[in-house]
Amino acid sequence: MKPNVPVEALHTQEMLINMGPQHPSTHGVLRVILRTDGEVVVNARPDVGYLHRGLEKIGERVTYAQFMPFTDRLDYLAAMNCNCAWAWAVENLAGIEVPERAEYIRVIVCELNRISSHLIAFGSFTADMGAFTPFLYSIREREKVNDLFEAACGNRLTYNYARVGGVSADLPQGFLEKTKEFLDYFEPKIDEYNNLISYNKIFVHRLANVAAISADNAVAYGLTGPNLRGSGVSFDLRRDEPYSVYPKLEFDVCVGTGERGVLGDCFDRYMVRINEMRQSVRILRQAVAQIPEGPVLAKVPRVFKPAAGEVYFRSECPRGETGFYIISDGTGNPSRLKIRAGSFVTMNIFETVTRGLMIADIVAVIGSFDIILPEIDR
Amino acid sequence: MEVLARSLISAFPVISGVPLWAVTLLIMVVVAAILLVFFLTFGGLGSYVLRKVAGDIQVRIGPNRVGPYGILQFLADGAKLILKEDIIPAKADRFLFVLAPYLVFIGSFSAFVVVPFGVGLIAADLNIGVYYVMAVTSLVVIGILMAGWASNNKWALLGGMRAVAQIVSYEIPVAMALLPAVLIAGSLSLQDIVRSQGGLVGIFGWNLFHNPFTFFSFFLYLTAGQAETNQTPFDLPEAESELVSGYNVEYSGIRYAFFFLAEFGDMFVVAALASACFLGGWHVPFFRAEALPSLWGNLLSLGAFLAKAFGLVLVMMWVRWTLPRLRVDQLMRMSWKYLVPLTFVNLLGVSLWLLVFKGKGIPQLIASIFTG
Amino acid sequence: MGLREYINDIVEAVVTTVKGMRITARYGIDAREEVTQQYPEERRETDERFRGFLLNDIARCTSCTMCVKVCPVDCISLEAVRGADKKMVLVSYDINIMRCMYCGLCVEVCPPKSLVHTGGYEKALFNRGDFTLHFVHEDAAGIKARVAKQVAEAAAKAAEAAKAAEAAKPEPEKKA
Repeated sequence: MKPNVPVEALHTQEMLINMGPQHPSTHGVLRVILRTDGEVVVNARPDVGYLHRGLEKIGERVTYAQFMPFTDRLDYLAAMNCNCAWAWAVENLAGIEVPERAEYIRVIVCELNRISSHLIAFGSFTADMGAFTPFLYSIREREKVNDLFEAACGNRLTYNYARVGGVSADLPQGFLEKTKEFLDYFEPKIDEYNNLISYNKIFVHRLANVAAISADNAVAYGLTGPNLRGSGVSFDLRRDEPYSVYPKLEFDVCVGTGERGVLGDCFDRYMVRINEMRQSVRILRQAVAQIPEGPVLAKVPRVFKPAAGEVYFRSECPRGETGFYIISDGTGNPSRLKIRAGSFVTMNIFETVTRGLMIADIVAVIGSFDIILPEIDR
Repeated sequence: MEVLARSLISAFPVISGVPLWAVTLLIMVVVAAILLVFFLTFGGLGSYVLRKVAGDIQVRIGPNRVGPYGILQFLADGAKLILKEDIIPAKADRFLFVLAPYLVFIGSFSAFVVVPFGVGLIAADLNIGVYYVMAVTSLVVIGILMAGWASNNKWALLGGMRAVAQIVSYEIPVAMALLPAVLIAGSLSLQDIVRSQGGLVGIFGWNLFHNPFTFFSFFLYLTAGQAETNQTPFDLPEAESELVSGYNVEYSGIRYAFFFLAEFGDMFVVAALASACFLGGWHVPFFRAEALPSLWGNLLSLGAFLAKAFGLVLVMMWVRWTLPRLRVDQLMRMSWKYLVPLTFVNLLGVSLWLLVFKGKGIPQLIASIFTG
Repeated sequence: MGLREYINDIVEAVVTTVKGMRITARYGIDAREEVTQQYPEERRETDERFRGFLLNDIARCTSCTMCVKVCPVDCISLEAVRGADKKMVLVSYDINIMRCMYCGLCVEVCPPKSLVHTGGYEKALFNRGDFTLHFVHEDAAGIKARVAKQVAEAAAKAAEAAKAAEAAKPEPEKKA
């Protein structure tokens, strides 16, 4: 029986698979267009933009103070970091001096949020790899951090805590004690996670030698944050371009060491995040001990009109460097606002690094980059 | 069955007019119905226990709304699946799409025929028991491949292909890991294998303690069995987070239920075979179940067997919620480079042991020292 | 790979698996580890600073429109008319809680502190329109009519008083 399709027309070489916007492992509405030869990926092109909300355009329409809640929705898992980054950027632009207690409070909430963001990164990454249990443990820890944040600012996800000139309200009674309790409870949990999953042979095998990024490549493609440090480049904005009260705090910069597999692979990026959680605990202990008394909000005019000029401020957020480039024309609204998000720049290297991997590794790569779509799409 | 039919006819003279084959057929249908009910109940309650165990391990409560402690959850799930709309994708191959779940179900359910539930409780004590199970569970492979192909969905196809590669590769360690038990019993029949473990009192008759090679064989069998039933860490074919449920992504309603039940059925078969071949089957420790009158002996041995099998199912669930997933090439590597050679070495070791020690295991040797 | 590596692989796999299984077993057995709150029977106590639905105490509101101006998403709308005593009278005050992003800027900026966050976060309704909360319960036209009447009365009284004062004023030219 003759086939009714000529044999040449049967494409048996490559499959075009759409890892669509709706997928359990793409950490949001990310679309990856995969061309695979069986299980091996020939080309994986990310297609972003499904969550574009025009934040930068909104920035031109609202005032500097009104833009603060929008920064919550920029990287909602590290909302405190984004809030504070915006506040620091505007304060740099207008030359506002922030009271020291406010800076300490900002550092405390930023580091707590770093812990909870890395917990989600850890939990969702292991869930993508098939171990569903550590995700629940990390959520349990995160709930405790959320309780702390609810006591401080009133919300559990979109905090809107920082203000231009300080923070909106002082820490409530008992906050510092509860933070210390949380740190004592949380530090042994990191060892538990390492015992449970981090060094599990199957997990290590899934991540070691996968998508290794050399240090030169990492710098050339503009990677920042744990992705950059996972490749062995010791660069952390908190130490190398210090802002706020970080110069007064002691911490180590966690760098990937190639302990399982090659330097710069997915396992290194994963371990950098686990170790950063430990360092955040260390920073928090110091900050909680050193925090002075004082006001928490500087005097900023009700109708805030900074002088004309431009500023680019970058801060170390859990997902890399979040930078705000603001051009002010002397009015109450920014003239142009550009948000540099760590996840967006990380997607640059995605296509290069996924060549030759298997489909299961694509999931590992996305998880190890710890991207979040609102940051990519803004 | 025929024996049972004859004994029934002699016990109830009123049906002596009915031909033998009719009574035998009736008995077969009844036994099949009983096994089906057990299969479905195990599938349902197994899913409940799975979710409860998952909840316990994951610091949360599992289902607890439907019925006391959520025990009727599986009935609610079953009812929901039955009432769902039957969606067949537009360009799917209808015949294969509809046939696939049945093949998978048959592949899983047919193995229940030779599972030794109790002293006299076995649907058919085939003298090729183990061989039969190996052969019949391979039907699952065809069903899964059909499901993957007929769904007209690339993700399903990938899942189906992975599943075939996986199940076929792990058939070998599964079979080879069961062979030591066969060698010790000298027969492929499962009842013979179970009876051969009844010599010594307590648990020392078990094949698990017979010699170090069978000890390793047990764990090799459990590992390969975990892969056969598509459980994490070998659940690539239905990797939720990668393939969005793999080969059964396009299935809904009762067709999906078939796949789901077949998975639990497979789990039970693996656990049942492991307990029959290595953990003494229906032998009750410190008891001679065969010596009791038929009803009590059957009940007691049934209880012992189910306890062992369910215990192993719990262990499989425990492993499932702990470990991450293997990638497909690592899965293949593990089967061919680790499990197959190890099971070969095991088989060789058991054969040598039986040769050297004339079929006696460590407990028997120790016992023979004491009894002179 | 060499035999040693091979055996190492197997041993490491078994050891790390057993370590992990010990941890999950501990959680599996210990029933006190469950952290689930059985909603809706067990509800979390929201913190006192919790930013739930907004509530405006109309009696204290001065219609200063600070909240309207500061809202980033323009979810508050109010209408006010000047009353007889030169103070603003609130005709309508609506908050669209679907648009509201619960940022708290309006509460922060409210001078008389009449606008507050409540602890409420549960509201499921069937109509989109129901999500606009009205805080002035009197009919808008009625308020406007009432205020207009009061203003007119006050204006009439003021005119009368002015006329009376004009009449009571002595003639400046008569005195020399």
